[in-house]
Formats: sequence, structure tokens, C-alpha cells
Amino acid sequence: MTGRGGWLRGYAVLYLLFLYAPIILLPIFAFNDSTIIAFPLSGFTTKWFTEIPNTPALVRSVQTSLIVAVTTAVLSTLLGICAARAGARYSFPFKTPVMGFIMLPLVLPEIIVAVSMLVVLMALDLPLGSWTVVLGHTLICTPFCIAILNSAFGNLDVSLEEAAFDLGESRWSTFRLITLPLVMPGIISALLISFTISLDEFIIAFFLTGTEPTLPVYLWGQLRFPQKIPVVMALGTILVALSVVLLTIAEIARRRGIARAGGKDTGGFL
Amino acid sequence: MTTTPPIVSLRDVHKYYGTYHALRGIDLDIGAGEFFSLLGPSGCGKTTLLRTIAGFEDLSSGTLLLSGQDMAGVPANRRPTNMVFQSYAIFPHLSVAENVAFGLRRRSDLNRQAKAALVEDALDMVGLDGFGARAAHALSGGQRQRVALARALILKPKVLLLDEPLSALDKKLREQMQNELRRLQRHVGITFVLVTHDQEEALIMSDRIAVMFDGEIAQLADPQTLYRRPTSRQVADFIGVMNFLPASLTAGSTAASVEIAGLGRAAITPEQCPAGMPSGDCTIGIRPETMSILFDGEPAPARETSGQVHELAYYGDMTYYDIALDGVEKPVTLSMKNLVGRRVLERGETARISWDERALIAFAK
Repeated sequence: MTGRGGWLRGYAVLYLLFLYAPIILLPIFAFNDSTIIAFPLSGFTTKWFTEIPNTPALVRSVQTSLIVAVTTAVLSTLLGICAARAGARYSFPFKTPVMGFIMLPLVLPEIIVAVSMLVVLMALDLPLGSWTVVLGHTLICTPFCIAILNSAFGNLDVSLEEAAFDLGESRWSTFRLITLPLVMPGIISALLISFTISLDEFIIAFFLTGTEPTLPVYLWGQLRFPQKIPVVMALGTILVALSVVLLTIAEIARRRGIARAGGKDTGGFL
Repeated sequence: MTTTPPIVSLRDVHKYYGTYHALRGIDLDIGAGEFFSLLGPSGCGKTTLLRTIAGFEDLSSGTLLLSGQDMAGVPANRRPTNMVFQSYAIFPHLSVAENVAFGLRRRSDLNRQAKAALVEDALDMVGLDGFGARAAHALSGGQRQRVALARALILKPKVLLLDEPLSALDKKLREQMQNELRRLQRHVGITFVLVTHDQEEALIMSDRIAVMFDGEIAQLADPQTLYRRPTSRQVADFIGVMNFLPASLTAGSTAASVEIAGLGRAAITPEQCPAGMPSGDCTIGIRPETMSILFDGEPAPARETSGQVHELAYYGDMTYYDIALDGVEKPVTLSMKNLVGRRVLERGETARISWDERALIAFAK
């Protein structure tokens, strides 16, 4: 065991350190009683956490981000459902190029998307605001949702829908009673992924935000004031904890869904 | 057939997929209470025809009547048909009882107890009483099949459509389900239309069979007629095993005389020419079980020839021999029951063969 595996084991440990060391530092300094982010630690405190609600601009940016992320998640998942369903069930002229074009924002540099959207919005003389950020985020999140939902819809046996229709249901009730419950794990995944992407997206938000910055944009602005950094660390700790909880919930939901549908578990986040 | 009006009636039905001509002028009447099979190789259009009756495919031209009503523009959910799918299409997120009750959702005239009683009856009918609370995905293949049947039959459709329902089951279970399906059909009295590529299955279960090739019905008959009087070489070859021998035919006043390669001269009646009496060069078909090997100086009951055992296949209850006859390129196949005390011949042995001219079928060359 120790012979050939030794090198790879060392590599694996280094790799994990590289991935997670910065994130582990986050809670350490969030509870450190000093404005200077450096070792040695000077003492335990929770004052950075209590300072969060006392920073109104920070609270507002969190609210803005949550609203943008939830709206983006719902919109891009809805668009993703339509596209994935169409791709899985219907054939139409130019299907391949159309599906390709829908997926393109996946590889498009965000800076290009951000600048070009800004140009268009300016040309149309439209005011910037949270809704323009939602627009931009929906654009980049939809391909992720389609990718996730494509496999969910693709794995669904067509004859299940035909059977429900044959047994007297309408097209819509078939979708509601059969299709939707069976692709629900995919929908939850899509919602979560797009929520997460939108929540931490910086470039598009930076370009398209109006007077109400999202959290990443606000944080970027705060980096000029070193005394605010511990609060940022505290907030980061809360966000990491929240993501772990959310992902765990999503994974439990996904496994339950698969078990209920009698399928074989072949993927997932965790 | 002529006394009761047909339940399913197709007139000159065509179906195109783009330029592909999937159904080429189907004319078909299926009677009430009939067990009807659509039999053919894959790609012959049998499933398309079934899906056309179900309402999943539109007709390109022609008419489809169900109980005398034109089905043009009537979608699958408003047709008096129900379907059992090849994959069974059991809803995996519902219990067995919820699956079976699915079609009753829209029946507002029934209360909860009445629906539960119907589900109970339906499960009882397919031998799954007490399975209602089970999760659908925990069922075996045969049980899924029964749930699919119960789910379709609970709606008392005029026609039950079955798309290769037994192809996913292993041999033993398939044979058992063939009997059960047949019994179930007699019990409920509903018209069954079965799609299958398995000729044996079609012969066992059906009242009548339509053999399809390339989007057309090649022959429509009851199992015995289909087996004994196939109207074309293609049908004869598809249903069971048939040997084909080159021959030349001279028509007479009542019977014809044929000179058959490897067998010799024989007389045949017009009945033995289901597609009409050919003249001159023709092909004679003969089934393996109508020929037999004569052992130890046993006298021939009818006609006799001889040949060498080219190859044999021992099946336990039967042995299939390929016998090389003089003047015939391809060895003919014949089957013998392995009766008590009967010897199995070895390769290269010479065999005396008995055959009967009444078993011959003549086809055009």
C-alpha cells in the first residue's frame, strides 16, 4: 500500500490543502480578535459577527444579492425546463445549431457578456438596476440549467408520458403528474446551481448593477478599508456554512428522488 | 366476423415519415372480442400501426374507425383504447395501487371506496391481490407486466393494445404469461391487439394473425391456415421452418403433377397452391415435422427417399436433422421426436426418409 501509493497520497493531500486552506482560514480569522489578518492569533471574539447587522450597506447588499439570485435561479430554471424538454421530445428545423447557440454563454467570457450588455442597455437608454443584473445572470445561468435538465429529461422514458396520456390525462396534467415529479431532482439541482452562480458572480454584477450593489460588488468596494476585512471574513464564514447546508439538503433531496423513482445513483454533488 | 360489426376498421391507411413510407395501404377489420396479432420482423410497420390505432401517430391518409366512429382528430386520451407498453411504463414514483388507479382519476362519478374496490378487483384479476401498497419500482418484470395490464384493463377499453408485452421476460415466464394473457382475454372479452415479432407467440395466443412485411399485410389468417397454407414463400419462411425445393409443375385437369428435386414426382391439388397454381418452374415447400426418418426396415407410410445426415441438433424432446438429398444444394431440415427406444442418428449416416405429398405447398418460383 505504501509503496506506489505514497506519491499519489502526498499529491492528494497537497491538492486538498490548496483547495481548502483559504476556506479554513476564513472562520479562523472571523473569530480572531484583531483587525490585522495575520498569525499569531490574538484572541477569541464574536464581535465581527455582531457587527454585520450594524453595517446597513452590507445588509442591503446581502438582500439585493439574495433577491437577484433567487429571481435568476427561478428564471433560468424555467427557461432550462422549456429548452431541455423541447430538446428531449421534439425535433424541429436547425435543432442542433439552435441548441448549440443556447449553450454558447457557457463558454463565453463573462467580461464580453457584461460589456456587450452594458452597451446595448446604454444604447436603449435603459436604467441599470437589480433587474439588469438578473438579466445578465439569467443569460449565463440558463446553459447550466439546460445541461443539468437535459440529462433529467433525457433519462425519462417517453412511454411514461404516453401511458399517462393514454389513460385519459391531458398534456398538461401528464406533465404535472408524471414528468414534473420525475425530473424534480434535476430541477432542484438546476435551481441550486444557478442560485450559487448568481450569488457569487462579480463581473456582470459590477458592470450592470445600479445604485444597489450585490454582495460581491460591495465586498470588492470594502477591500480598500482594511479595518472592514474581519467583518467580511465573518460574513464569508456564514456563507460557507450556508452553502454546505444547502448542498447537503439538495443532495438528500436528490438521493430520495432517485430512490423513489427506483433509479441508479450515478452522479450528484457529494 | 361478418355478423358483428368490426371494433377496429382501417381503410387504405398510409403513413409517411418524411419520405419513408411506413404503412402502405392497410385494410383491416378486427372483430369484437378477438385476440388479434400483428406479426412481422422489426421495421415492418406493426408498431406504427398499433400506435396509429392508439392515437399516438396521425394517419397520412386513409380512415380509422373504432366501433364505427371516425378517429380523425381524436387524441389518444379520448379514444376507447388503452395500451400496454413494451417497457410497461409503470410510473416509478407511485405505488402499485396508485398506478392501477391512475386512469380513474377523471372518473368523478366514483367515490374513493368505489375506486379502491375497482383497483382491488383489477389486481385480483392479474393475480396481484395484496400488492397495492408496494412501491412500483420494487416489482419484478413479470409483476410490472401484470400492473400494466391491470392499469389498462381497469378502464374497460373497447380495445387493448399490447406492444411486444412479453419480449422483456425470460422464456419460462414468457410462456406462462402467454397462457395467462389468453385466459385473461377470454375472461374479460375485450378485443386484444398484440404486436409481436415472435411467430410462436402469435400462433399460441391469437384468433387471427396479420403477417406484415414492409408496411403491408402479407397474409391475414387464423394460426392454422397461416401455418399450413402460407400464401407466399416469405410468410412460409417467417412462420416456423419450411424447406424449399426447386420443382417443375405440369397442370392437369384436377390435380397437378410436380417433379421435385431430391424427392421425386408427386401430385398436388389446387388447395396446396394458396397463391394460385404456378406453372413450369416453381418452388415446393415442406415442413420439417411432415417428414420422418424410417428406422430398421420400417415400411414407408407414404412416399420414400433417402439422404445423408449432414448435421443434427439435439433438443432433448426433439432432434433436428439436416439431410443432404441427391440433386439438392441445401440440406433439408426434418424433426423427429425422441421417443423411447428411438436411436439418434449420427453425422454421415444414410437415412431413409418418409414424406407425404399432402404436406407439399407450391409457390411461384
